Amino acid sequence: MALPLPPGLNHAEVAFLAEMEMVTVVPRQRLESINLLSGQTPPLRPPHRAELPLWLALLLKKQRRANILPPPWLHPSSLAEIIHRETKEDPVTFSAPPPPPSHANPHDPGTARRVRDADADANLAPPFLPSCTAGAPAGYLPYHWLEVAEALLTHAGDDMAAPAGDVRSLLRDLVEVRAAKMRSSTSALEGFGGGLMSLRGVGAMELAESRGFVLGVVDGVRKIGASAEAARREEEELGGGREDDESDEDMGI
Amino acid sequence: MSYYDIDSILTDAEKIPCTFQLEIPELGYLDNQPGQPLKAGSKIALPLWLAEMLAIANTGGDDQAKSFVTFDLPAALSNEVVQALKADPRAVPLRDQSPHLYGLATHMMDLSEEQELGVVLRKTFVTRASEIALHARKVGGTGHNKGTADEGSNLGVGGTGEEFLRGLEEWERKLFRKAHDGAKAGKEWMENVKKR
Repeated sequence: MALPLPPGLNHAEVAFLAEMEMVTVVPRQRLESINLLSGQTPPLRPPHRAELPLWLALLLKKQRRANILPPPWLHPSSLAEIIHRETKEDPVTFSAPPPPPSHANPHDPGTARRVRDADADANLAPPFLPSCTAGAPAGYLPYHWLEVAEALLTHAGDDMAAPAGDVRSLLRDLVEVRAAKMRSSTSALEGFGGGLMSLRGVGAMELAESRGFVLGVVDGVRKIGASAEAARREEEELGGGREDDESDEDMGI
Repeated sequence: MSYYDIDSILTDAEKIPCTFQLEIPELGYLDNQPGQPLKAGSKIALPLWLAEMLAIANTGGDDQAKSFVTFDLPAALSNEVVQALKADPRAVPLRDQSPHLYGLATHMMDLSEEQELGVVLRKTFVTRASEIALHARKVGGTGHNKGTADEGSNLGVGGTGEEFLRGLEEWERKLFRKAHDGAKAGKEWMENVKKR
């Protein structure tokens, strides 16, 4: 009652944050480096590719100064693979988030290992790992997948690998599949003690959409189980007391 | 639940069947016998807040102290309802039993040891929750199989969905509202992306 705003970020805020994701652009014009708060942008020299934040890339795209290269996971074959995995191979859980970046030693095949940058991402967890951003490999969905995909499809539809309509319909399928999973995942809370509801691999926009519902369900389950939980705790305390001293038995009364 | 929570107040006003353990003078009007004492053993439906106090309080400090009333489970949580919920949680219109069924049930579980009721209710709540989310997404034509429904309107409900939604209890209505708000915000955002 104290806070009129619901907890968490709303859709517009999530979409705003997603604009900080880096995308690859192919510039059409020269542009000197710009000094931004988050650092300097690379100078643009056609036809060399460069990494720019999404908002700047969209701005340049609208001014026809650059083309945006769609990220590998947005390729139709990658999306189709994810849909196949979500529907056929594992119809219960969400597909896993992107794996941490790894690099292989060409002289020692089969021993690819994670890149460990001791300073940068020693303490990072998803969704802040570098590979959970728009730089995710094909076949995995980064944290901001829906927002970035929507923005790219809307403003840079002509840069897609396939007609934008095809990619969009694949994306719609994926959204529907995952929304259905989100709904049915509540049934995991049925078991005694509340069970566990895994939201691993869920994107930011999906979280924004389902936050109210999921929190409502979890809270409801908690309230229904509250008295049983209290009784169990009491029993445990009594049991613990009995071991110490026989005369403590009527302490709980 | 906060002090001013209207649902909490209304839940406290639900009647539950009580049996008086003592004869109480001048209270006969509660049992349609004005001017007479209320006999021990008479059954009267009391609001939850009153029944709770009377059931917990007892008559005095001596050994024969007993509580004023004992209570049974209200009709909304009777064995028939629990059996029906066990069979198919979706088919029972909870609202017809009590608009505050879950709130009432949690109170009852606090007062008495009803382990099984808790298990059944949790299953019911969770199963119905996913159904609620499904309907919340459909309303307003968000679902792709409802392409013809008016966008943004609430007229897309119909058939069995309407029946189910009418049977929602207050907790479930809140849940429906939250799920629907989320789905609606998502749809609005999708449309806004195109405009900019």
